[in-house]
Amino acid sequence: MHFEPKYVLQIPDGFPLLGGMWLTNTVISTWIIMVILVLISIFITRNLKEVPEGKQNFAETIVDGINGLVIQTMGKDKLFFAPYMGTLLMYLAFANLSGLLGMRPPTADLNTTFSLSLMTFFMTQYYGMKSKKLGYLKGFGEPFIFMLPTNIVGELANPISLSFRLFGNILAGVVIMTLVYSAMGHFAFVLPAVLHAYFDVFSGLIQTFIFVMLSMVFIAMAMDD
Amino acid sequence: MTDTNFLVQFLEWINGYDAVDLAKAASAIAVGFAMIAGIGPGVGQGFAAGKAAEAVGINPKNSKNVTFVMLLGAAIAETSGILSLVVALIFLFANPFVNQTGVALVIACSALGAGLSMIAGIGPGIGQGYAAGKATEAVGRRPKLQSQVTKTMVLGQAVAQTTGIYALIISLILMYVNVFA
Repeated sequence: MHFEPKYVLQIPDGFPLLGGMWLTNTVISTWIIMVILVLISIFITRNLKEVPEGKQNFAETIVDGINGLVIQTMGKDKLFFAPYMGTLLMYLAFANLSGLLGMRPPTADLNTTFSLSLMTFFMTQYYGMKSKKLGYLKGFGEPFIFMLPTNIVGELANPISLSFRLFGNILAGVVIMTLVYSAMGHFAFVLPAVLHAYFDVFSGLIQTFIFVMLSMVFIAMAMDD
Repeated sequence: MTDTNFLVQFLEWINGYDAVDLAKAASAIAVGFAMIAGIGPGVGQGFAAGKAAEAVGINPKNSKNVTFVMLLGAAIAETSGILSLVVALIFLFANPFVNQTGVALVIACSALGAGLSMIAGIGPGIGQGYAAGKATEAVGRRPKLQSQVTKTMVLGQAVAQTTGIYALIISLILMYVNVFA
């Protein structure tokens, strides 16, 4: 049995730059999720009115919820992170739940989770540097200067633990579901549904929330004194 | 003349076996070791359940909020047990060591190490369970703060999971990257 992402599609040879490259099912799932998210965004933000009704109510609930979460976690002055955090939240929620549709969740691939956590890491460093200037770098030498190596290693460990936490949890779901389906064969009733509810819905949504919350906390901590 | 040193004799005896058989034998022990991590979630969830019982006993009106926070916290505390189970299941049904080539002893020891490292799950299990218990206690006292308490608990449990995640990384590296062999 294989739990690694599989190569499913090859770009035709004539294609500029990427010709002949193989794509994994992670990439295909990501594209499907991107299309779904873009279509939903376009659909629910058409014909916006002063007094919301129908689908606009739904859109406003989501935006208000994300703004509220960002204000509560990061503070009012950092509301401009809300679009990024909201996008991250929706992408991860869709990605983790995509196992329900029989797709391989893109987050069961370390490439996805590690690139997302690297984005958080570089945002942390950039905004920390921007808001505290040299004071940010001085922060690594605190409380004592000989703590410098420990602090740097601790900072570098953040993206690793952030990405592996999501990856490990989703991969656990993928491995267990694959084994259960192959063991039960054509008689896969009831039990897979219970496991899907735990591994995809519960664990997936909790890990989505944790990833976004930790990203917000890391960035806010780097910016505040 | 054969060497009288016990260790050398033991190593020679081990090397007499086929690499695949040795890897399978070591994997069997590793599966058992990996599941020891179950101690952690057990203790932690027990603590959370105890705190929930206490909170409900003090004020039965809040039993819904208390049970929700207890179940949520206990389910997250289960994570390290599940990660160990996954490693054990990979060993049992998709053992990567069987196909590895190299010195038999190194492969067998890598298999053992991959199982042993998962024992680290004891720590996060107990710690996360403790956090779940304390959050349950707080919600029992002030049910109005449920959403904030839950948020803080989940965040803290995620950070407490970190060392368990490191153990999983090392276990997966030993399994799939084949560093030594």
